[in-house]
Amino acid sequence: MNSKIRSWARGVFGWFDERLPISSMWRSQVSRYPAPKNFNLWYIFGSLALLVLVMQLATGLFLAIHYQPNPHLAYWSVLRGIQQDSHWGWLIRDMHIVGASAFFVLVYLHMYRGIMYGSYKKPRELLWLVGIFIYLALAAEAFLGYLLPWGQMSYWGSAVVTNFVTAVPVIGKPIATWLRGSFVVDLPTLNRFFVFHVFLMPLLLLALVLVHLIALHHVGSNNPDGVEIHDNLNETGWPRDAVPFHPYYTVKDLFAVSIFFVVFFWFVFYNPSGWGFLLDKLNYTPANILHTPADIHPLWFFLPFYAMLRGVPDKLYGIMAFAGSFVLLACLPILDRNPVRSIRYRSVLYKVNILSMAFSFLWLGLIAHGLATEHNMVYGLHVTEVFYMTFLALPFFNRERPIRTRIIWLVAAEALVWLVDVWMYSIHAHSWGLMLQTDWIPALYALLLFGLAILFPALTHDAAKLPERLTAGGILH
Amino acid sequence: MTKQNSPLRRHPIALMLTAGLLASFSAAAAWASVATTEPPLKPITINLQDKAALRNGALYTLHMCTACHSLQGTRYSSLPAMLGMSEARFKEIIGTNGHHYHDVITSSMPSSVIDAFVKMLPPDLTYIARRHSPAWLYTYLTSFYVDPSRPNGVNNVVFNNVAMPDVFAPLQGLQKPVMIEGLRYGSPARVAIGVEPLTKGSMTPAQFDRTARDIVTFLYAVAHSHEQERARLGPWIIGLFVLLSVLTYLIYRLYWRGVITSEERWWKVGK
Repeated sequence: MNSKIRSWARGVFGWFDERLPISSMWRSQVSRYPAPKNFNLWYIFGSLALLVLVMQLATGLFLAIHYQPNPHLAYWSVLRGIQQDSHWGWLIRDMHIVGASAFFVLVYLHMYRGIMYGSYKKPRELLWLVGIFIYLALAAEAFLGYLLPWGQMSYWGSAVVTNFVTAVPVIGKPIATWLRGSFVVDLPTLNRFFVFHVFLMPLLLLALVLVHLIALHHVGSNNPDGVEIHDNLNETGWPRDAVPFHPYYTVKDLFAVSIFFVVFFWFVFYNPSGWGFLLDKLNYTPANILHTPADIHPLWFFLPFYAMLRGVPDKLYGIMAFAGSFVLLACLPILDRNPVRSIRYRSVLYKVNILSMAFSFLWLGLIAHGLATEHNMVYGLHVTEVFYMTFLALPFFNRERPIRTRIIWLVAAEALVWLVDVWMYSIHAHSWGLMLQTDWIPALYALLLFGLAILFPALTHDAAKLPERLTAGGILH
Repeated sequence: MTKQNSPLRRHPIALMLTAGLLASFSAAAAWASVATTEPPLKPITINLQDKAALRNGALYTLHMCTACHSLQGTRYSSLPAMLGMSEARFKEIIGTNGHHYHDVITSSMPSSVIDAFVKMLPPDLTYIARRHSPAWLYTYLTSFYVDPSRPNGVNNVVFNNVAMPDVFAPLQGLQKPVMIEGLRYGSPARVAIGVEPLTKGSMTPAQFDRTARDIVTFLYAVAHSHEQERARLGPWIIGLFVLLSVLTYLIYRLYWRGVITSEERWWKVGK
């Protein structure tokens, strides 16, 4: 009897398998997909981000069922309809809120992993670029969703962001009106933001994630050492430095998922507003078109970009400054052409630079968390310069530079800092005293980075005698 | 990742340089601010199990506060369970202000009255109680003081130029401010940091204090109505995933036992 059921089940599965590539896909993409053996902690954030995406879609479905995209109803449909009147509404909503922030934490860590281990280098440039687009789509998704509760911060945040385009000369204002469907953020804006948030952007995100995964499985994973696993095959054609994704990484990811959920549900149950970072306290107040809050903040994951925006004393240039940071990220494969992938085998000053990239980003967030005083604006401008410099200094580390080139880089970097500041001063006359108070930050960073490179050339030396397979195919060699 | 493998362990100088750079930067980062002298908040502890406090708070809130304010985050019908009383008892003692039992708690003030006298909608108490801490609410309720310069003749220590009249004056009596020379948005100003009694009310100070605490307890409970459910569910869900973490860790170790990991460096990198 038992064997009968088994053969029957095999028959049913066989019927499907002949018509859909189920078992062959499973083999090629999961159970016989080679993944490097040496993944470390940094390599779990991708699969966790995928998990959070699924969770956001699932919780979002239930929220959308109870939500009313109408300015008169939206606020209480969330605070009473979802939180009180529907079963488990409070839990699902808090999971969605904490999930949004978790998504950004994971994506930021995932991106920084890519930067540390050179995952954007040949042959993964396109994989990296698709990832940048995923980040942009995610940012748009988060921004659109933030309007829906119709709180004060939702409303005024959306008002500020939809006003960005008015910085474009002549056609800016008509475009802003077209985007909002109204002269101010109102019913048409809420309706379209709702549709984009629950339909357009999730679709786009899923498509981009699929392309990201296809590209990943085509070129294979990078790893903390930057080993090209396909360069070293055994007799059967299996990469010597790889293990099958299933079961090795499925069990590892399950462990990571369990740990993640411990932290995630701690926030959901005990700290759903995350000390006011995950959900701004002011957003508990319903949107009031006649009352502009004294300080309009984005949520924590956009704070660094907010510091860039308000640091530059001109709306259009400010928008270009923060949009430029995405361009720089997308340009990483062009900026960093050193064949060595992993930060492990890069020079000391390169490590300093990559660490400063992360620290200056966090630092910008901290500044933007402060009030919009003139001091904080100028301060933000100067730390933005440090952030930009950590990218613009990358080509310096492409090869070992002769002393003359190192001096030229130092002079050029210092000149750039001061020229930008004179330019900014000419746009809006902050007092020079205020400028100088924080101007030394980028100046000192350039001086230390390139000054140390001049004084101690050893600090710019990558690891010597690196095997060919730890490099990105020798672009320069 | 082993200690040898960590890029920072292998190059401690990188870490030291970065730390040094950033320390020197932040040391000089002076934070200018638009300072305002903050009056001290009176501490309060909220006990959501204290049904007597919740009932007393509900009584005052639904009979006094909802004359003007709404409490739209909740319905009358969700209160009896929270207050630990039957539906009949709730209707008898506290009542629904003439509304249907399943109605949302709205303001009793007709919109024509709002237009005629107030010109401004008193805020809903659900989100006021969510936005502000219990200590703030408690200080706010007990810190109205006489200020002849204001249209209503009163002001508040934690809410300067408040529009709300001192509805507690008959119970608490009037109060006078304790003023100091402080800052308001960066410029010097006389700032109230506390109150002193001026006249007597119908309640003793202890009675009024009890009432204010009960109102804050009730408002907090209404605005955080799932607090107890969270506390009940949280340990189970988190415990489940802690358990799963242990189990999945053991499975992970079991599977990876035979695999040479990066810690053993199966390729050698010459220095």
